[in-house]
Amino acid sequence: MASVTLKNIKKNYTKDVTVIKGVDLDIQDGEFVVFVGPSGCGKSTMLRMIAGLEDITDGELFIGDTLANDVHASKRGIAMVFQSYALYPHMTVAQNMGFALKLAGTPKAEIDERVNKAADILQITHLLERKPKALSGGQRQRVAIGRAIVREPKVFLFDEPLSNLDASLRLNMRVELSKLHQDLKTTMIYVTHDQVEAMTLADRIVVFNAGVIQQVGTPLEMYENPSNLFVAGFLGSPKMNLLEAQLVGVEQGAAVMRLPKGITVRSAVDASRGKVGDKVTLGIRPEHIQLADPQDANAIPARVDLIEHLGDIVLAYIEIPGINEIICLKLPGHMTGLKYGDSVRIAFPEKNVLLFDAEGLAFKRSA
Amino acid sequence: MSASHSAEKVLSSSAKDSAASKKRSRNMANSRKAQRALALAGQYAGLIAFAIFTCFPFVWALAVGLSTDPSNTWLFPRSFWPTEPGLMWFERVFTEMPFLKYLKNSTVMSFWTIVSVVVISVLAAYPLARLKFPGRNLIFVAIIATLMLPSEVNIIPNFITLKHLGLLDSYWGAIIPNFAGAFGIFLMKQAFEQIPQDLIDAARVDGATELQILWRVMVPVSAPSIAALSIFTLVNAWNDYLWPSIVITTRDKLPLAVGVFNDLTGPFAVSTSLVMAAIVLTVLPVLIFFAFTQRYFISGLDGAVK
Repeated sequence: MASVTLKNIKKNYTKDVTVIKGVDLDIQDGEFVVFVGPSGCGKSTMLRMIAGLEDITDGELFIGDTLANDVHASKRGIAMVFQSYALYPHMTVAQNMGFALKLAGTPKAEIDERVNKAADILQITHLLERKPKALSGGQRQRVAIGRAIVREPKVFLFDEPLSNLDASLRLNMRVELSKLHQDLKTTMIYVTHDQVEAMTLADRIVVFNAGVIQQVGTPLEMYENPSNLFVAGFLGSPKMNLLEAQLVGVEQGAAVMRLPKGITVRSAVDASRGKVGDKVTLGIRPEHIQLADPQDANAIPARVDLIEHLGDIVLAYIEIPGINEIICLKLPGHMTGLKYGDSVRIAFPEKNVLLFDAEGLAFKRSA
Repeated sequence: MSASHSAEKVLSSSAKDSAASKKRSRNMANSRKAQRALALAGQYAGLIAFAIFTCFPFVWALAVGLSTDPSNTWLFPRSFWPTEPGLMWFERVFTEMPFLKYLKNSTVMSFWTIVSVVVISVLAAYPLARLKFPGRNLIFVAIIATLMLPSEVNIIPNFITLKHLGLLDSYWGAIIPNFAGAFGIFLMKQAFEQIPQDLIDAARVDGATELQILWRVMVPVSAPSIAALSIFTLVNAWNDYLWPSIVITTRDKLPLAVGVFNDLTGPFAVSTSLVMAAIVLTVLPVLIFFAFTQRYFISGLDGAVK
């Protein structure tokens, strides 16, 4: 087990093409950290640099206390699980799992013992003599994870390991990975573009965009207090509603914004660094918008555009006259009475409204 | 009245139209079917013609070799059917010339050619396919460019080189110039490029050196392509005539292709039937080998072009 420390890590493919623009990060021993971000944001490149499969252009990478920049991939004490599983097709499952040990000259009895132990953990003992082509996608993924476990690495690296699995299998494997981390207590770094995986698995999430870390924090912290518009829009499903507005009042511990058509909304943030007249973006999560009483004069009138029944919840997409964005509401599953074209009134609770300045940076919550 | 009349007219004319269009579409369907049948017949005719074209020398040789009475050898098409069939000429092949010795020479030479071509092609193709170094493309283009040269260009430089190496009139002299071939390198490069990068990365993380990645991962995964390359090489080595006939002068070291030609043709040739029987016996081992390995051959090519 080991910590991983990144100090001002940079990666250039050519002089002009920079994919990682100076990353600083401390990953604690035994922590489960998830790198998340859209395609091409540099998260996989970052992982491959930690693995030793890509050169580090600049900066320092420590695994434990060792500077690992120039250490060969096999000597870093890491094991990696690939998106495509990358099982050797000509070897049996047992041979696949024991390959690294065999290359390291481990005695056969010990290889067998460690392979059997890993197979036991993953419940794939009955598959040990099969070739990868005779396995299903989920079984292959287990073997790939088994191959990593057998090496007893200091750090596990996962590169989108679940994205080739179907939805239900993905859920199962997610739970098992979480359990595996609890059992092994090894440092794990996990790359995904699926924010649900990130939210459910991570001790801490690192959100990447365009080669830069946007925010690091625990899943709930990131969800509740995104530091900028990108993180706000990226985490959460359905996405946070983001509406353009104008700052019309800065009070002690609150801000007042005006949406088009004179609608005013209050937010419990400290907007003292903004000034009246600034362009801002208002953000509110779908589950925080409330349906108001039809007689409530303060509520905002709106019209239902689309209703999606997901069983446990109802997603309502509504339109406020004068505002271009469609707003999403998450309502309890029993609210089945709404239909297309209905007029409703909605309220944005002050404590749930987030505010971002013209650069996209969040104003701090006042409470 | 007149309105309803005209309406009827319209109706009946539209009914006529629809009947006509049905008929037309049926005709079109028929003609399309006929076209398809014609195209298929054309394809088959072409393939059959090609099969006859490629098989006829062998069938002719077989028929003549099996005819104990050679009087019909030059009569077309009568010669394609054996006259008084028997194995007399085949038996005589073994008595008139050291056929088994030639067979052994050919086998030994082909075996080492295959092994060497595969080893060299694999070793040359891996860096070209998978390692990054300056001049990689240039080297590959240079290798491929050698395919454009006629093989006769090599004869004099190779002969002089072998003379200096003291390898004239030896097995090695007859086969070494064939070891490094652009075709083999090209085929293996294509095969290695098909292998997913993740597999190589996985091996690298597992602690494999480049050579271990090559021999323990790349080569087993590319087995179909290697099988295809082996068969191509076997056919070429087995049928190689010109170069061994220049390099080897001792009769005991000759491969089949040269031996059969030297012993059974020319001014003192015994009989055309004997030559034909010898040719059939020469081709037979390759055909048998091909019959057993053609599955790999075809799947290997699949892998090579996919």
